[in-house]
Amino acid sequence: MFKRSDDSLIRQALDGNERAWQQLVGRYQSMLYCYSLRLMGNADDARDLLQDVLLVLCRNLAQYRGDSSFKTWLFGIANYRAVDMLRKRKPMQDLADVSDQLCDDSQNQEQQLDTVQRQQDVRQQLKLLPPEQRLVVELRFYQQFTFDEIAMQLAISSNTAKSRFYAALDKLRPQLEVHDVEQSANF
Amino acid sequence: MLNNQQIFEAWLEGSISDEQCARQLTPDSDWYQRFVSAQMIRRDASAPLFEPVPDIDTSSMFRQQWGHQRPSRGWQNWWPQLSVGMSALALIISISPLQLQLQSGALALSWSQQQDEQQLSTMLASFQLEQQKYLQQQLAISQQQQSSQLIMLKDYLSENEQKARRSDMVELVEYLNQQRQADWQYWQDNVQPSQARLNYIPTAQPSRDSH
Repeated sequence: MFKRSDDSLIRQALDGNERAWQQLVGRYQSMLYCYSLRLMGNADDARDLLQDVLLVLCRNLAQYRGDSSFKTWLFGIANYRAVDMLRKRKPMQDLADVSDQLCDDSQNQEQQLDTVQRQQDVRQQLKLLPPEQRLVVELRFYQQFTFDEIAMQLAISSNTAKSRFYAALDKLRPQLEVHDVEQSANF
Repeated sequence: MLNNQQIFEAWLEGSISDEQCARQLTPDSDWYQRFVSAQMIRRDASAPLFEPVPDIDTSSMFRQQWGHQRPSRGWQNWWPQLSVGMSALALIISISPLQLQLQSGALALSWSQQQDEQQLSTMLASFQLEQQKYLQQQLAISQQQQSSQLIMLKDYLSENEQKARRSDMVELVEYLNQQRQADWQYWQDNVQPSQARLNYIPTAQPSRDSH
C-alpha cells in the first residue's frame, strides 16, 4: 500500500476521518515520546508532555497551513510545551528509570552494556544543560533539524540557535572528558 | 579556505567524514573537543531507542474536537468512492461483451456476443445490397448522361460544320462576283476600245487612193 502524505491525512482528519487522525498520530507518537523522555528525564513527565502535545495538536490541526513540513510544525508545538513544562517543574529529576529500562533488556551482553552505559552517560550529561541548550541539542542531533528550522521553531535567530548549541557542547566537554578518562583507566 | 566553524558545520551536515573533520580540527583543541563531544552525542542519537509508548486516548480527544463535523460533511466522502466505482464499471462495460442499451425508454444491460454478431452480419449484408443498388443506379445515370452529351456534341459539331460551309460558299460567291466585276471592268477599259478601233472603217481612205 502507498503511504499517504501528512497533508492528505490532515485534510481527511479535518473532515472528521478518525482513522486518518490515528494514522497521523501513530506516525509521530513514538518520535514525540522519545523526545519527551530525553527532555523531561522521566516517564511520567514524558507521558504528560506527550498527552499535552497531542491535545494541542488536535485543537490546532486546522491552523496548519503547510508553510513548513508537518514535523517542523509539530515539534514547534512540542518545544513550546516542553519549555513551558520545564520552567514550571522542579529541578531535573534523575534519568535512571529510562536507563534501567534499557539495561533490563540488554544486561546479558557486554557490548550492549557498554553501549547502554555510554548512552546513559551522555544523557546524564545532557540533563545537566540548561533547558534552552538541551532543546537545541535535542533538535539538532536527535530530530535532525537544521539550524534554520530550529530557529523557526523556537522563534529565535539562526545565530542564537548556533550559539546555544556551541555553548552546550562547551559545557558537555569537561564532563565527557572525565568520562573518557575513567573509561581509559578501566582498560 | 574554510574556518573551523565551517568545517564543523560541514561535518554536522554530513558533507565531510569523521576522519576528515578530525584531521582538520586537530590543531585547534577547542574545536576538536567540540567535535568529540558532538560525535558522542551523535553516536547516542543514532542508537535506536525502543520505548513503549504509553497508551493515550487520542480517539476521545479527536471526537471531542472534530468528531461533531462528521455527520455534516460525511456525505462528501462518498463522492470520490462513487466516482471511482462508476469509472471502474464503465471500464468493465467497455472491455467486456456487456452492452448497455436504451430500449423503449429503459436501460438494458446485455451479454450476448452471438446476437451481436448476427446483428452485425445482417447489417453488413443489407449495407452491401444497398451499395450495389446505388452503384447500378449511378451507372445507369452516368450512361444516360453520356449518351445525351454525345448527341449534343454531334448536333453542335454538325451545326458548326454547316455554318462553316455556308460561310465558305458566301465567300466563294463573293469572290466570283468580284472576279466577274474585275473582268467586266477590264473588258470595258481595254478590250472594248481595241475592238472599237478594229471595227472602225475610215472614210478618208478612198480620197487618198484617188491621188
